[in-house]
Order: sequence, then structure tokens, then C-alpha cells
Amino acid sequence: MSTNILEVKDLQKVYPNGTHALRGVSFDVVKGEFLVIIGLSGSGKSTLLRCINRLHDPSSGSVKFNEEEVTTIKGSDLRQVRSKIGMIFQHFNLIPRKTVLTNVLTGTLSKTSVTKSIFGIYSEEDRAKALSLIELVGLSGKENHRADNLSGGQQQRVAIARALMQNPKMLLADEPVASLDPATSHSVMQYLKKVNEELGVTILCNLHFLSLVRQYATRVIALKGGELIYEGSPKEIDEEWFRTIYGEEAVEVTID
Amino acid sequence: MSTIKETTLPKHLQYKETGFKKSSNVIQALSIDILLWGYTSLVTYKVIYQKLIMNMRHADFTWSQPLAALGVGAIISLILFMTKFSIGRASKGLYEIDENETYMKQPFMFLGYFIIILTFVVGLQVSQVSMREFLSEAGLTGARRIFTALFQPNFAIIEPALFAAVETIYMAFIATAISLPFAFLLGFFAARNLMSNSPLTFAIYNLVRFYLNISRSIEPLVWAIIFSVWVGIGPFAGMLALCLHSISSLAKLYSEQIENISDGPIEAMTATGAHPIQVIWFGVVPQIVLPYLSFTIYRWDINVRMATIIGLVGGGGIGTMLMQYQGLAKWNEVGLLVIVIAIIVWIMDYSSSKIRASIK
Repeated sequence: MSTNILEVKDLQKVYPNGTHALRGVSFDVVKGEFLVIIGLSGSGKSTLLRCINRLHDPSSGSVKFNEEEVTTIKGSDLRQVRSKIGMIFQHFNLIPRKTVLTNVLTGTLSKTSVTKSIFGIYSEEDRAKALSLIELVGLSGKENHRADNLSGGQQQRVAIARALMQNPKMLLADEPVASLDPATSHSVMQYLKKVNEELGVTILCNLHFLSLVRQYATRVIALKGGELIYEGSPKEIDEEWFRTIYGEEAVEVTID
Repeated sequence: MSTIKETTLPKHLQYKETGFKKSSNVIQALSIDILLWGYTSLVTYKVIYQKLIMNMRHADFTWSQPLAALGVGAIISLILFMTKFSIGRASKGLYEIDENETYMKQPFMFLGYFIIILTFVVGLQVSQVSMREFLSEAGLTGARRIFTALFQPNFAIIEPALFAAVETIYMAFIATAISLPFAFLLGFFAARNLMSNSPLTFAIYNLVRFYLNISRSIEPLVWAIIFSVWVGIGPFAGMLALCLHSISSLAKLYSEQIENISDGPIEAMTATGAHPIQVIWFGVVPQIVLPYLSFTIYRWDINVRMATIIGLVGGGGIGTMLMQYQGLAKWNEVGLLVIVIAIIVWIMDYSSSKIRASIK
């Protein structure tokens, strides 16, 4: 059996407005990796993540998750694959005016029937699991707080708990710390690291700050103008590579 | 970076050189001129000449008149088409306009000013505006009689008036309540962001939008007349009329609210592998509940006001009562009803705005 959890081949994405966001991106992800994708805004990082779980449909190319082609599947097959891939977002995307517990429980929607979920009927195991995940991300006691009243870092931790509720094999993180302050950023990244190391969930994460990349990534790929221009260890990114990725005039900003 | 400055003319004024585009523009420009000159010659003849100069009381109308006017318009247009007095050519950008002159000073605008003044004069004539009637002795006495009666309301009918008012409020409430579930469902189908994913849903979207626009453009007053024949004069007819109109208006407001929600929760729910219905229930509904509530309360407020008007054509409630007393020229009673209506409208307006402000 292959150890690759994800194989992306020659992925292209052209948006209806003509933007060519991805121009033939290929890479593999090994089980258990913490793979970080870097690149400028507009380099195609977000599009890449969204093509993997089909929030966006790729224009051509192939994405294989656990050796199953995902670019062509539809309906319940697609939902099945999505349920195995958790996702967290820059703006957390929690459901406003709902409690932390309800938000975490939405992670089980794919396994709960439509009628039951509409009436808020979840199994006892699901509730217990949700509570334990809330504890895992350090939010015990907050399960009945409204999610939109929490701080940014806390909201992102709720989002992590929601993603873990899916029992994901892989986690997509789209700039998970871009709207957080440095200290909170580290805290959220620590939780992602914990998820990666202790629960063995493979992580694909878009990041801006190279200092975070060096600290948390086990491998890095870099996108520029929709093309993959670097693949390697985070320690190998030097001045020269930095300027290739971010442009001649860029100066590295650190976060610690 | 290109250093050559692009042409600064606005796009619709740029000279178009492609053959088909140009000839189609010339035809459109000529049509605009013919219509404008046709209109000018028709109303000049009908109103300025026949009414004002000849002072004809009943000027006859035949279909040959507008046709002749169009003919005259065509002749004038053809004569003036190549000059700077052509509005059509100016608006289609078929000749260069001096950039330093304001639009208001261009030669073709003189025809524009002439048409506006002409329309104003014709409008006064058609609306039969007459200062003599407004200030006539007999008219003023009549008005004084009604006003004195209105300001001496007859409180003897306060009881039936309040009952009728309560009928109106309940009627408006039921109309709002019944239209709610229909509007709720239609709102999703009329929301572009939810429906533009596949050709089928987009076709449904267009169909629903078309229905909403058509049914909204028919006034509830007209519906009330239809329903008072159908189910008989009374609150039920008025309620049905309000219902129909409320469904379309609420569905439109609801759908616009859905179009304004943030995509984030929808993306997040889709990413968990949720069913599309679950995506809507968890990703869309929590974002729209409060605005919906606010719209619905406002709609009730509007419906109370509309129910009063609808009553005038037999929709029941206080409006029907007002119409009956007005028909009997019992102005003291009408005065009381006007006061009751004013108070109700004020209370509804005040409380609905208070409630809406508190659930923001």
C-alpha cells in the first residue's frame, strides 16, 4: 500500500472570469506530514486547498485522496470524501449565534440524518466526543457560550474541534493564523502540531510567516503565479529562495 | 507600464468604426430622433394648437394623428440628422462633442429643454390644473363644511369603529402569518447565490423571480377587487389580497438577505461533507433569522396600513366602514374613523420600529 495520502497531478484551475489560478500543480503528500504551502496572496494557495475537497471544481488534472480520484465524483460519494478531510479557515467560519457545542457538533453532519440534524438530535457518543474535543482545544466550560462572542484564537480552536469531530484523515488549513495576533498564532499552531503528532492527522496548511513555517512544517511547497516553484525542507529556504518566492524587494518579517 | 494615455472619452461616446455596429447605431439614433420629434409635433398640435389656441373643448382623436406626427417627426429628423441638433446622434456617440463644453450647453440640448417645457405645459393642461376651481366660492364653502365636521368627530360610533380596527389588525396579522412559510421557501429559490450553481436551479431561479416581479407589480387593491368578487366582500377577500402581495414582497426581501450573507459558514458546512439541506440549515438559516423577523414585523405594519386602503374596495375592516360613511356624506363619523386609523398606524409604526431596533 502506498504511503501517499494525497496525490495531486497537473492540477489546473481557470475561474469563469478568466483568472488562471493554478497552472499544472503536481505534488504528493505522505501520511502524517505537516505540509506547509507558501506563496504571495493570489499565488493560488487557497484555490489549491479548495480544489482538493472540491469546494472549487478544478478545470483539469487529478486529485487522488487515499488512491480515490476525487475530481470526478459527485453527490454522496463526494460528501463521503469531504467528511474524511477536515478544513479550517482564515475567518474561522463558525455558525454565528450558535453555541460552541452546536458548532463542534456540525462536524458530524455527514453521519447524521438530515431530519435529526435539523431538530438538533445527536447521539450521546457524539455529544461526549464533542465535549472531549472542546476540552482537547482548551475550551472546557465554554461549550454553552455563543461562538461569535469568543476571541479570534478561541474561535479558531472551536473550528479545529469541529474539524476533528469529522475523524479526519487529513486537515486542510487555509491561512489559519492570518487574522490572529502573534501570541495567539503560536497557540493555534501548537494545537495543529498536537493534532498532527498525537492524532496522526496529515495537515496541509497555507501560511504567510516563514518563521512559523520553519518551526512547524515538516515539508514545504511554494506556489508562485499558480505554479509550484519549490519543494523541500523548511530549513533549506534561504535568502535566495525567499526572494524567488516573494519577489526581489521582499524583506522577511518574523513573528515570534 | 504603458505610457500612452488611453482615450479619455467615455465608452458610450467613443466613435465606433465597425460596420455593423455603426449602422445599427445610426438606426437607433434616427429612431430616437423620430420618436422625439414625433412626440413634439403631436403634443404641440393636440394641446398647444387645439386646446390652448383654438380652445376646442372636445378635441377628437384618431389614430391617424399619431401616425401623421411620426411622419412629420421623420421628416424633421432627416433634415436635422446630420447637424448638431440631433439628440439621437449625440446619445449614441456618433459625433464628437467638445469636451470643454458642459453637456448642458450643447446645441442638441435645446431640443431637450424645449421638450421638458412642452411636457410641463401639456401636463398642466392634462391634469386640468385650475386656480379658479381651487379658490372658487362654492368649493371653499364645501371644504369648510367637511373640515368643521371632521374636527367634530362623532364619538357615538367609537365602539364599532374600534371593532372594525381590530378586524383590520387581525386581518393584516393573518395575511402576514399565512404568507410567511410560502415566502420563506420561495426566498431560497429566488436567491442567486444558492441557485446559480447548475442550469436547472438557475432556470428555477429565473422562473421564481419572474413570478415574484409579476405578482408584485399587481397592486393589492386590484387583488382585493378580484377576491371580493371571488369570495365575497369582507375581511377574507382583503386578507387574500394582502397574502398574495406579502408573499411576493417578503420572498423578494428574504432572497436579497440570503444573497447578502457571508459565504464562510456555507463553505465550512460543505467542507464537513454535509448534505445540501444541512448546509442551508446550518450555513444559511442562522445568518438570516433575525433579519427575517425584522422584515416580517415590518410587513405586518405595512399590511395594517394596506388593509385600511383595501377596506375601501370591500376588503372589510375599518376601511370598509370609512367608505360606507363617506358614501353617506356623514363627515362627523368619517372624522372619528380618520382619527382611529391615524392612531393605529402610529402605534403600529412606533412599536414595529422599536421591536426591529431591539432585535438587531
